[in-house]
Amino acid sequence: MAASDTIENMYDVALKPRLLRSLLKEYVPDLKHQFRNPSVLSYVVSAIKTHQLLSESAPPESYEKLIENWTAAVDCWINRVVALASSDTPDKCWAGICLLGVTSQECSRERFIASYAAWFNKLLVHLQSPADSHFVKVATCASLSDLFTRLSGLPNAKKDGIALSTKLIQPLLKQLNEDKFDASWEETIFLLCRILDIFPSSIQRHYDGVEDAIVLRLMSGKCNPSMLKKLGYCLSLLPKSRGDEDGWVLMMQKIMLSINIQLNDAFQGLEKETIRTEAMRLLLPPGKDPPPPLGGQSLSRGTVDNTMRPEHLQISRISTLILCCCELFTNSYPFQVAIHVLPLIALAKRVLMVDGSSSPGIAYMTTMKQEFFCSELPVLHSHILDLLTSIVKGLGSQLLPHVGSIIRLLTNYIETSTLPELRIKVYAIMKVLLLSLGVGISTHLTDVIVNNSLMDLDERGTSFVAQQKIHPETTTKTSHKKRKHASTSSSLEEQPDKDVFEVGMSPNMASLSVKIAALEALEALLAVGGSRRSESWRVNVDHLLLDVTRNASKGGWAKDGIWRDYQIAALQALLASLLSPGRTRPPHLSQGLELFRRGTREIGTKVAECCAHAILALEVLIHPRALPLLDLESTDNNYEVGNKWFSGNVHISNHAANNTFQIGTSRKAPDEPDSYKDDLYADWMRNGEDLDIVAADPGKDTDTSNQPPETLRDPSSEKLPSFDTTAVKVSESSKLEQVAPITAAKKSPMDRDEIMVESQLSLKTSKHSEDLLPSKSNVVSLGSENIADDASIKEVVEASDAGFASPLMMTLDRGKELMHESDNESMESIPDIVDVEPDSD
Amino acid sequence: MTEPELVIASSPTDAGISCWDLHTGAEHLRYRTCSSPSHGLTCVGGRFLASSQLRETKSSTGSILYWSWNKPQVEVKSFPAEPINPLVANSEGTYIAGGGASGEIYLWQVATGKLLKKWHAHYRAVTCLLFNDDQSLLISGSEDGSVRVWSLIMVFDDLLRGKAKQPYEFSFSEHSLKVTDVVIGYGGANAIIVSASEDRTCKVWSLSRGKLLRNIVFPSIIDTIALDPGEDVFYAGGRDGKIYIASLNAVADPNNNYGLHILGFLSEQSKAITCLALSTDGSLLISGSEDGMVRVWNTKNHNITRIFRHAKGPINNVVVVRQSSLMSNRGTVNSQMPSVKRHGLSLPPPLEKCANSADENDYKAVIVPRIDPDRSVEASYISIQSLSNQILELQRQGSSAAAEMEIERLKLDRSRSMQMIQQWETKFQSLHQFCVTELLDGEKAGNA
Repeated sequence: MAASDTIENMYDVALKPRLLRSLLKEYVPDLKHQFRNPSVLSYVVSAIKTHQLLSESAPPESYEKLIENWTAAVDCWINRVVALASSDTPDKCWAGICLLGVTSQECSRERFIASYAAWFNKLLVHLQSPADSHFVKVATCASLSDLFTRLSGLPNAKKDGIALSTKLIQPLLKQLNEDKFDASWEETIFLLCRILDIFPSSIQRHYDGVEDAIVLRLMSGKCNPSMLKKLGYCLSLLPKSRGDEDGWVLMMQKIMLSINIQLNDAFQGLEKETIRTEAMRLLLPPGKDPPPPLGGQSLSRGTVDNTMRPEHLQISRISTLILCCCELFTNSYPFQVAIHVLPLIALAKRVLMVDGSSSPGIAYMTTMKQEFFCSELPVLHSHILDLLTSIVKGLGSQLLPHVGSIIRLLTNYIETSTLPELRIKVYAIMKVLLLSLGVGISTHLTDVIVNNSLMDLDERGTSFVAQQKIHPETTTKTSHKKRKHASTSSSLEEQPDKDVFEVGMSPNMASLSVKIAALEALEALLAVGGSRRSESWRVNVDHLLLDVTRNASKGGWAKDGIWRDYQIAALQALLASLLSPGRTRPPHLSQGLELFRRGTREIGTKVAECCAHAILALEVLIHPRALPLLDLESTDNNYEVGNKWFSGNVHISNHAANNTFQIGTSRKAPDEPDSYKDDLYADWMRNGEDLDIVAADPGKDTDTSNQPPETLRDPSSEKLPSFDTTAVKVSESSKLEQVAPITAAKKSPMDRDEIMVESQLSLKTSKHSEDLLPSKSNVVSLGSENIADDASIKEVVEASDAGFASPLMMTLDRGKELMHESDNESMESIPDIVDVEPDSD
Repeated sequence: MTEPELVIASSPTDAGISCWDLHTGAEHLRYRTCSSPSHGLTCVGGRFLASSQLRETKSSTGSILYWSWNKPQVEVKSFPAEPINPLVANSEGTYIAGGGASGEIYLWQVATGKLLKKWHAHYRAVTCLLFNDDQSLLISGSEDGSVRVWSLIMVFDDLLRGKAKQPYEFSFSEHSLKVTDVVIGYGGANAIIVSASEDRTCKVWSLSRGKLLRNIVFPSIIDTIALDPGEDVFYAGGRDGKIYIASLNAVADPNNNYGLHILGFLSEQSKAITCLALSTDGSLLISGSEDGMVRVWNTKNHNITRIFRHAKGPINNVVVVRQSSLMSNRGTVNSQMPSVKRHGLSLPPPLEKCANSADENDYKAVIVPRIDPDRSVEASYISIQSLSNQILELQRQGSSAAAEMEIERLKLDRSRSMQMIQQWETKFQSLHQFCVTELLDGEKAGNA
């Protein structure tokens, strides 16, 4: 007993039964006393969860007494809870039902298996009795749902689960059909969805009944939007209960037909007759029988709420049905489904084409009706864009045959669409398209994304006229932006954070979210196709992104809210612009780094996380390395690698007689064991040994070696030793002389391109300009066709490209390698003309 | 722990398809009746094996066969309009592309067998086909020496194609003889393409600019290439039986004897190397040779770690397949979804011979069952959440439901209070009675 008398610490098992008993004594209501304060229940539940009081899982070495004690305590608990659940006082009954739900989630597996059937019956009573209050019913549904969830996790409970859940359907249906009151509806639907999810076959017999009930509610116009969403979800889960493709296809067809019929009604006078016949033809090829209408005959019973304007009701119905389509795409079904994509895209096109203007000469429409209609149209567009999103997400590469038409649809749509919400969605679809379909699609989306995001992100109203032309309404927006801008910079000193936040927020909430969406689309574009045909747009976009990020961060970093989201979106897009390979070294690298560095100081914020990630990613750009693939555990220690892949001594031939693999003249490999993994490190080291002066000033080294093409093509060649001395001179005196090469280097379009060329260099022409130190000329030969003249060299140099390594490393290497060679290999001069082709044959 | 990987190999002679576990060396089923052309063997989405077949020159139709993983016999036979040489499926296994002897490329939807597109891609027979890493581009090599890059979106969309100057993205025509193999690296738009040709060169191309980056001349004709995952080097299998290692990122020593950019070679004095493949981590290189052997090399120390014997005749395809994808598609892990199992095992219908132009709009996308990995049980318990919501509601006492329960409780309270009042009343009455009597008694006594 001693063990249970004293408690060692909060982890002690002995604590648990004691705690449980005292909870029962002090907090859990009993039958005799009044239950005053329901909020104690949340304390009880959190204690149970934290200490796992009902788990009954003691470590094996615990005393038997202790375990018995615990079991007894849990018995007490369950007795009390079950008694409460059958109490006739509503609040106690409610408490009991809630705690029963918690118990079925938390109790040990054995206990659950032993008693779930009894608990189910207790709960079922409350679901069936009409007298119970809604509060009790809601709790009952929640607890039942948890009971089924737990049941579904047990291996052999499927049969039982189906049997039990079948019992539930009838009362649930009754509740759905009768209940006038919405309060317990949500939980009822949730429970239904849970059953559809876990034990779908139990609904099979009541399939039509459930469909009718849901559709009736959907169409009634009495539900709030969140309720409609749940109903839509539930409807889309229904095909699971049939368990085959046909059920799904039928459901989809019914929904599509229903949408079409409603659209025909709604779009009267707004579109040409041919469009609607075409839409119908796609859905129902001539000669095919139409499926029974959605929801059976339930609709004709007509419980339509007349307090709502018919246009509103109509659009809300269509929207909910579209939502069902979305769910059908995004839910996972246990069977394979084949679906015609064309009708869906035609539907999207049909809706997006209607902008509320009555097509001339078709039909008469009252201004009143048009006004109502136009007020509801954006909702419809927004939902149809959601449908497009889920089609794109759900079909992935299968969408390819139709991607062309989707691109055209979106491109046309974003030109005219000015509402922020809709633009956001179009950007989002484009982003998903880019990320899922990759390089192939990037060329087709580049123009539209770049043009539109340039417009949306424009901060200074530079393209004011253009904007006005396309977006008459944005004039006001722009002035807001201007104001924000001005106050941002002026208020910097005093209380930057708040000020910017407010100024940025209040007038421009919507336009900020459009900007976020545009930034995200740009980021995706840069990630996927940043280097593709990029000459025309990269410069602008890179510049824009730097500007946007700078301005976003001017007043400091926001802790949360949409302004922070905007800042993060800007930072991420900027990172993408720095990382996405272009023709030159990212021109805004240093400014970008500065921004990220500032961001990391916001300790503990999302911005700091994002910036830390960016700095990590950019580090590779600054210190590029091409690490050899090396197995350290390998017992094969003869494989000594120098600082470059295969450049050390490689003698394996003694290992396997038939393996011939011998490469390279030996180069001194650094002795430090950990250095031979890291070529960059090795380079630095080598640098230090060989040529201190250059190593002392690596930055300069980098810059200088990034020489203009003129130097490259300089045909004069010099002796290497003399080269060393110039090196010293240059790096010491520098500055003046350096100006020219640096600017030249900036202009040079080819920093990353020589990589391919690089390894050939000592074989090829080798020459150095007199005063530029690590300039090692690289002239490229592409195999047999060769460097006959300067022009061809240039061409080749420019032609070469690709992400083999990045410019800096290369240039660094080049310089150092040269030094090294001069030291190590041969101090004699390289022959004057090295145009010999070793590989010509 | 490395994931299990399978090596499958086939040959132009009718020697079937062999299958070994790469890491344990255990031999699996041998699938029968397969005489594949080079690049004609592929694994479709990890679900089943497909191979185009060599036909007698006289036959006018081609042949493509499917094998499911667990049966040695051919399960599905398709007969396309002409002999197909290279066959490739995208990584999801939704499309199969085949290159015809006439230079046509055929694109089928796997799930329905529908021939979605067919276009004249080359002047002469297509020799190799592959998808790029994001599956949006198709790259083809041909006997006419050209390598072409096709965007699938353009292939499908006539309007986009009409607007473009040419139907392909790039056409590389620097090879002077038949292209024998093409590989592509990672990096989306920045990827590099390496092609090999009978002109004894391998060429490296930039996908972002569509230009030649590097030309490497080999001592022998290269029939096959494998690209190191880190793109440091690539391996080129030559007809002289050597596997050359050529540098991409790696720095070649200029003074070696092999030639520009060539770092060295692996050799076991075998016959010509016909096909190469790398394990996923790049540590093992698998080579197939004309002598019928599949050799597995360690790419770090260049030793042979294993030799599999396929047949007496030559091998012309080796493919490495990751086992994990097989397992999930076989449904072994998923007992909850029996129909997944069923569908995973049954093979799709045969591929159509020609496109039915009438039902252009009849394209059906096929959504395969997905398994939601994020179905966490913990998150789907709701009673605690519902409880705290209801408590909030009670405390605010705003909602009608809460009020309803409160009323019930108050009713009970009221009846209890009524009882109390009655009790007090009777007590008061009796006390009053008592007092009155007392008082009267006292008065009486006083009067008396």
